[in-house]
Amino acid sequence: MNSLERISAVLKFETPDRVPVIPQIFGLAGVMARIPVDEYVRDGFILAECQIKAVKKYGYDAVFSVMDTSLEAEAVGAILEYKKDMYPTMKTYAIPDTGMIDHLVLPDPNEAGRMPEMLKALKILRSEFGDEHLVVGCVMGPLTIATQLLGMEKALYLAIDEPGVFIKLLDFCTEIAIEFGLAQIHAGAHLPLVFDPSASPAVVPPQFFREIELPQLQKLCKTFAEAGSIANWLHIAGPSASILPFYPSIGVDIVNIDYYVTPQQAAEMLPDMCLDGNIKSLSFIEDRPEEIAAKSSELLDSFESRGGFILSSGCEIPPQSRPENIAAMVNATKERG
Amino acid sequence: MTAKMMEPLVEAIVIGDCTQSLDLARNLCDTGISAKEIVVNGIEVAMAQLDEKCTMEQFNLLEIMLTGRAAMEVMKYLFPSGEMVTARKGTIVLAVLEGDVHDIGKNILKMILIANGYQVVDCGKNCPIERLLDVIEKEKPLAIGLSGLIFPVIPMVKQVKEQMQARGIYVPKIMVGGAALKQSSMENLNVDFLAETAFDSVNYLEQLSGGESNE
Repeated sequence: MNSLERISAVLKFETPDRVPVIPQIFGLAGVMARIPVDEYVRDGFILAECQIKAVKKYGYDAVFSVMDTSLEAEAVGAILEYKKDMYPTMKTYAIPDTGMIDHLVLPDPNEAGRMPEMLKALKILRSEFGDEHLVVGCVMGPLTIATQLLGMEKALYLAIDEPGVFIKLLDFCTEIAIEFGLAQIHAGAHLPLVFDPSASPAVVPPQFFREIELPQLQKLCKTFAEAGSIANWLHIAGPSASILPFYPSIGVDIVNIDYYVTPQQAAEMLPDMCLDGNIKSLSFIEDRPEEIAAKSSELLDSFESRGGFILSSGCEIPPQSRPENIAAMVNATKERG
Repeated sequence: MTAKMMEPLVEAIVIGDCTQSLDLARNLCDTGISAKEIVVNGIEVAMAQLDEKCTMEQFNLLEIMLTGRAAMEVMKYLFPSGEMVTARKGTIVLAVLEGDVHDIGKNILKMILIANGYQVVDCGKNCPIERLLDVIEKEKPLAIGLSGLIFPVIPMVKQVKEQMQARGIYVPKIMVGGAALKQSSMENLNVDFLAETAFDSVNYLEQLSGGESNE
């Protein structure tokens, strides 16, 4: 089986030749190729080259064209600060005044900010791997885009104080994600990962998620599925157990679980859905390879009889991580077969 | 003054209704209840109720922000000059260290600490350790609170206690929280307390201060 066949098998709860392993490597791919993270997130060609090198060296099952959480906001007009070896940080929000919400212009993925660079990376990655490896793009979820456009505090207060205005903003954010995701699929992504950290129950209560964010995510997933995305992969980090029961109604196919959620919890709540996770991100910086191998083994044991599982980290593997820990994780699945 | 009189205010703050909280605080003042009583028996009780409600599984920023905002609005009304005469349990220095610009966790802790009777000195985000040490030397706080959302801040947190000792200044207790720091351990970070939620920090400080007024 090649990587894509392996992932397709676990999506259908069929038995693969081995459990797929997808370490969530973004900026770390740059670091491992001695490219500063700030350069990695600004150049589609470099990003693709680094991803290709990393996957060829470690032999895992997917490549990512993922930059950072502020990419969409920058495309709308936010000003970011780029510092050597770091992900960019927000300098000026795109929407300083909520009165602007009625006059926002949808960014064109082929022209706005770094969106074209990300599409360039996807074209290169798909041309390199075809249908051999899973080629993953990424859009931020609507709520995450909203918090990046306004700032977390302002966005959340707006949701409560002026719900009508907030929903208008969220609709706009969903349109950004749809346009960008569709452009990624056209550029060659097998799927755009939907990354929505602001929708975590650590940020908003489950009722808020159900009433406000869920309909937006449904729209997003439906559109991507119709456009040919091979699966909808939703990534909401943190203690997500309280919102997992809503996932089947969203149209999600792959569910990322962070280290807060136990495999047993997730498997009980989502018996028919493919899960990926959930080694703690910090472990890749601080643990020894033997410890990562042991944690990987434990996860593989947990899902052995159930299936429908992709071995992964709970969230991004940080750029400061030890590369030998990637090898330990990948080898854990390969040794088991 | 009975706790019953305070109940509506406590409830309004817990649900984060700013307008109602302010109206109720005004009414209480009009009936002759002192600002200090409103803080101790109204705002702090509301915070305690929110603490009970916020287990690790149920803690979320939005609810805390709404309650914090309502509490702060009442505080501003009670102390329009900004002089927090209720800050009687000690001084806490807060910071997000250099390299990290995510300060929502720190801001929430700040609101909760003020509402619970602590004086807060806020060093802001992206704060160099040197500046933090200067503030500690000047303020001699009961504790410092560091929040960290991203991993590069971990090596800096590890240095704080050593640098205070090397500089020979007063060494307060160090408490930390935030998405990145929570994944580590107290031993690894060389700190005295690792909080899962902002309320954990308050409970830790209550133990340190004995929950007592310094007045």
